[in-house]
Amino acid sequence: MNARRVLAVARKSLSQFRHDRRTLAFIVVMPLFMVGVFGYTFGGSVSHIRTLVANEDAGARAAEVLGNMEGDTLDLVVATDLAAAREQVRLGRAWAVLHFPANFTATVMTRNATIGLVLDGTAPVITAAILGKLRAAIEATLATAGSAPLTIERNYVYGSEETRSIDAFAPGVVGLAVLMVTTLLSVIVLVRERAGGLLERLFATPLRPSEFVLGHALALSLLAVLQSAVVLAAAVLLFQVQIAGNLALAFVFLLLFAAGNQGLGILMSSAAKNELQAIQFIPLILFPSLLLTGVFFPLEAIPPTVRPLSYAVPLTYAADALKGVMLRGWGLGELWLDAVVLVVYDVLTLAAAAAMVRRQA
Amino acid sequence: MSPPLAFRTRGLTKRFGSIEALRDLSIEVPRGVTFGLLGPNGAGKTTLLRLLLGLTRPTRGSASVLGKPLPPGAVLPRIGYMPQDLAIYADLTVEENLALFGRLVGMADDRIASRTAEVLALVELAGRRGELVSKFSGGMRRRTSLAAALLHDPDLLLLDEPTVGVDPELRATFWTYFGDLTAKGKTVVITTHYMEEAARCDLVALLHHGRLLARDAPAAVKAATATTNLEDAFLALVRRQGVEA
Repeated sequence: MNARRVLAVARKSLSQFRHDRRTLAFIVVMPLFMVGVFGYTFGGSVSHIRTLVANEDAGARAAEVLGNMEGDTLDLVVATDLAAAREQVRLGRAWAVLHFPANFTATVMTRNATIGLVLDGTAPVITAAILGKLRAAIEATLATAGSAPLTIERNYVYGSEETRSIDAFAPGVVGLAVLMVTTLLSVIVLVRERAGGLLERLFATPLRPSEFVLGHALALSLLAVLQSAVVLAAAVLLFQVQIAGNLALAFVFLLLFAAGNQGLGILMSSAAKNELQAIQFIPLILFPSLLLTGVFFPLEAIPPTVRPLSYAVPLTYAADALKGVMLRGWGLGELWLDAVVLVVYDVLTLAAAAAMVRRQA
Repeated sequence: MSPPLAFRTRGLTKRFGSIEALRDLSIEVPRGVTFGLLGPNGAGKTTLLRLLLGLTRPTRGSASVLGKPLPPGAVLPRIGYMPQDLAIYADLTVEENLALFGRLVGMADDRIASRTAEVLALVELAGRRGELVSKFSGGMRRRTSLAAALLHDPDLLLLDEPTVGVDPELRATFWTYFGDLTAKGKTVVITTHYMEEAARCDLVALLHHGRLLARDAPAAVKAATATTNLEDAFLALVRRQGVEA
């Protein structure tokens, strides 16, 4: 292994990107776009859910509950007629109808009150938001009346009441952006070098396959770090994403992940004859990474029969590590297993790439 | 003692599936000559160069390059290679290309700088060293590729069709330079299908369908076939081979 040759290859790759401003822009803009889309779509909780209220309560308790439901989540609209309100839900003009019967105040303190809830249950997130808001309002109302049935005392070990979806997604999105850009660029760069006879020309010098692969991985991993820095900066500045732990450690994990992706990209490039074919790998990389890795859905939400697949996708470990660092402030003491798996991923893919790249030349 | 050889092959054979790209080639090339590999497309010229560089392995037979048996590993820094498809980075500048190949063969940065100036003067690209190769014409790319092959002042130059698309004046400059190199004991191996160009070589080998038809000085090849130019000599040899076959 000759360090000078490794660095020569890395320098070559970085110079290529320096001259290719459009690709460089893609490397930065694409993940920014991803963060933007995820940030704005998943950033807040649901809001302005049109909810009709048929309040027939003779007392004041229902009004108190309704008062405790004020906020952005629900748009409470007074309905005079329950049947008409129900029709509004059927027509898709409202998500729910809240019905407080005439005896609500009278029965609420004796704990046998009923609230009628008519729901369009086609959007579980909205159903959950309405139920959540209602429960919280009832709890608050009973507490004010000195009649809370029980109190849940929350102690957050990590995160807080303030933790939003975007905070939880951000680490995974950074990992996903690095995956997409590094793997895809790697495939495309290799396809291009092979087609132009450049790989063969390089191997007509003393350059060894392992040196080529390492140099290539070094350059693209540096780009991945640059990209991650931009993405994280955007996440922090635009969406005030929380970072609880050591950012340097997050970058170490990103580097480990990016390096292995280069190896994977080189291996994949052997199956593509041109850039068009290389692009067809996008869904192959994207879908398992989106769905199986815990970036958007916790692994616990993935059926046990499919879950072994999750553990075969490297982003699962990268995302877990990044979440550990950014959300929980964990260090290597807690995240050593992710680190070990990613190092094994690097060694396996880069070694296989080195063995294959010469044959491809 | 026999003179040192640039390369030698013994029964060298290369098959690609059912195609025999090179068949039982035994040839010796001394150092300090320009050696022309002649033949039409598919004759096996490029395959021979790739075998000598260790880019592909022989199916049968053996070869040694600059005294070292294949694969050439240790002697690669002493070989300069210009492939037919040029293989230079279009998205790098001329000097970035040269620096890359210089570093890969182990040249120090200051030597790369001084040699870059020399070889770019030779290929008449001195004023364009900072330009991206993607902006160049085919001929200029070829000159850049040649400059990369010459940069480290190799003992053995393997040039695959180096003068295609190069204007006659510059082509003459190249040949003068190749003469200078051989005078210094370097060996220049050139594949070409320009027969008149091959006549300028000290030695030529005529290949057809992977077989060696002849290997000698151009004048001797012409004399042996009672022809006045290498093209006729080649055709005569092909006919003779056909009769023998």
